[in-house]
Amino acid sequence: MTEIKKTYKNYVGGSYVRSESGKTFTVELKNQNYELPLTSKKDLRDAVTSSKKGYESWNKLTEYNRTQILYRLSEMIEGNKESYIELLQEHGLTKAAATKDVDNAIDTVVWYAGLADKWEQVTGNLNPVAGDYFNISHQEPIGVVFTLNSSDVSIDKTIRSFLPAMTVGCSVISFSENNSVISLKLAEDVNNSDLPEGTLNFLAGDFSKIIDDVSRHVEVNALALYGKLNKENLKTINENASTSVKRVFNLPSEEGLSSVLPFIETKTVWHPKGR
Amino acid sequence: MSNIKEQTLSAPFTWASTLEILEGVKVDEVGVKDRVSSLATRSIKRESKLQALNYIVSMCDLTTLEGEDTEGKVLQMTAKAVRPDPSDDEVPSAAAVCVYPSLVSTAKEITTGTNVKVAAVSSYFPSGQVPLESKLLDTKFAIDEGADEIDIVINRKSFFEGDYRKVFDEIVSLKEACGDKHLKTILEVGELKTYDNIKKASLLALAAGSDFIKTSTGKIPNGSSREACYLMAKAVYEFKLKTGFSAGIKVAGGIRNSKDAIRYLVIIKEELGEEWLNANYFRFGASSLLDDVLKQIRKLKTNAYQSSYYFPRG
Repeated sequence: MTEIKKTYKNYVGGSYVRSESGKTFTVELKNQNYELPLTSKKDLRDAVTSSKKGYESWNKLTEYNRTQILYRLSEMIEGNKESYIELLQEHGLTKAAATKDVDNAIDTVVWYAGLADKWEQVTGNLNPVAGDYFNISHQEPIGVVFTLNSSDVSIDKTIRSFLPAMTVGCSVISFSENNSVISLKLAEDVNNSDLPEGTLNFLAGDFSKIIDDVSRHVEVNALALYGKLNKENLKTINENASTSVKRVFNLPSEEGLSSVLPFIETKTVWHPKGR
Repeated sequence: MSNIKEQTLSAPFTWASTLEILEGVKVDEVGVKDRVSSLATRSIKRESKLQALNYIVSMCDLTTLEGEDTEGKVLQMTAKAVRPDPSDDEVPSAAAVCVYPSLVSTAKEITTGTNVKVAAVSSYFPSGQVPLESKLLDTKFAIDEGADEIDIVINRKSFFEGDYRKVFDEIVSLKEACGDKHLKTILEVGELKTYDNIKKASLLALAAGSDFIKTSTGKIPNGSSREACYLMAKAVYEFKLKTGFSAGIKVAGGIRNSKDAIRYLVIIKEELGEEWLNANYFRFGASSLLDDVLKQIRKLKTNAYQSSYYFPRG
């Protein structure tokens, strides 16, 4: 029987796309090599345009509905568990480590799914003020978030780089480098989870090639860098981001409630108390 | 920007000579598609791109044609047409604003003293399904209100019934009502469907005295297409060879981004020549296109991709 090898592609706006530049890069795994799309500036721009739309569709849904959709993602990953374990082993993990990582990943998705309709009750507040007013800290998602995945070979880590922002209602462009095969495979399960188009996009490539464009792009509201960057790159990012008052989070928390805090903005609402 | 071109077709064609040019219109569909798609692959480098984008702004007919249009909305849009990007002096004004006749005088309040023209759609845009008397009344009203340009729709009913004569006569009458005001005739290429029909309708509209031919009302899903624009350019070229009259082309309906708009410019440049690359001969009917063009202009100047919330609404 002929063995057919899968071509992994970027996932943008609900479609699997090659880089418009036609360029690829190679990820070498144990038994086979993969040619993945090398994301260009234009690919990035397309991803931002689609995330912008995705942000609106994701926010039109009720929190309860978002919970259901994220939970469905965990079901999808559960269904393809074996293939993830195999892929992680291809990346050099032992079977035990790979199994543990996939189990953790599923638990992580379920945890964030549960948080999606509860976070505002925890982070929002009714504030005491010296007057006849209700003073409410209303919480809103920050908008379009670009995340740089860490270089660790781990599905759990990959998921922890985009779910915190998504849980609070942001749309995400998830960028990966050496471990791109994992995130592009994950895109398939994301695609099967009823997520509105553009809510979550996956790009692969060399971050240094788009660093300038992503940090200057006015429509990207925040950069969350889960991957380690050198001082020079961080400086460039911070300087460029300042021109559009873009939030930059270097190595933000990946655990618990603190992981979603960077992606929330607080709006203070005053309302007179009735008499 | 220069004022509206002076030249108009001295007298409309006779019906007999119109029939002559309509005869034997046959379009090679595969050839058209091939040529248009090859023109779309032209690469436009940075400086040329900036020039093209500025051209596009200066060729824009900023349009609002909704039942919900109000004076406020039109005032805001017209202000934007006069000064599309208040933070950048190098960005030119748009060519015109395009509104319903009842809002012409509102737009005029702002355009008076500027180069921006006011175009009104008339003849019972977008369907045109009324008797000629009503169409004439509609057009006269728009002109009395101060419209500089009139956009009319062809009688598609008669066109499909094969009554080309009626289509022709209506345009002639409307042109007469327009006097020296510029007449743009909308073909609604999405409804004409075949390339032969588009070419025929183009020639028919030109022979009847239109100053511009325009692709679409923007009110149907299949608005403009580059193939239609190409065919219209060909018709304009053939008509020029026959009569010496240079007509203009306006593309409208579904052109939303700069990349697409630049491809239209390439078609015009290649098929008609540089003479056509100004607002006297080529226009974009657009509502959302202008925003994208402004974003791209600033991107070229600052290297940062832009968001439309930093540009005026309208």
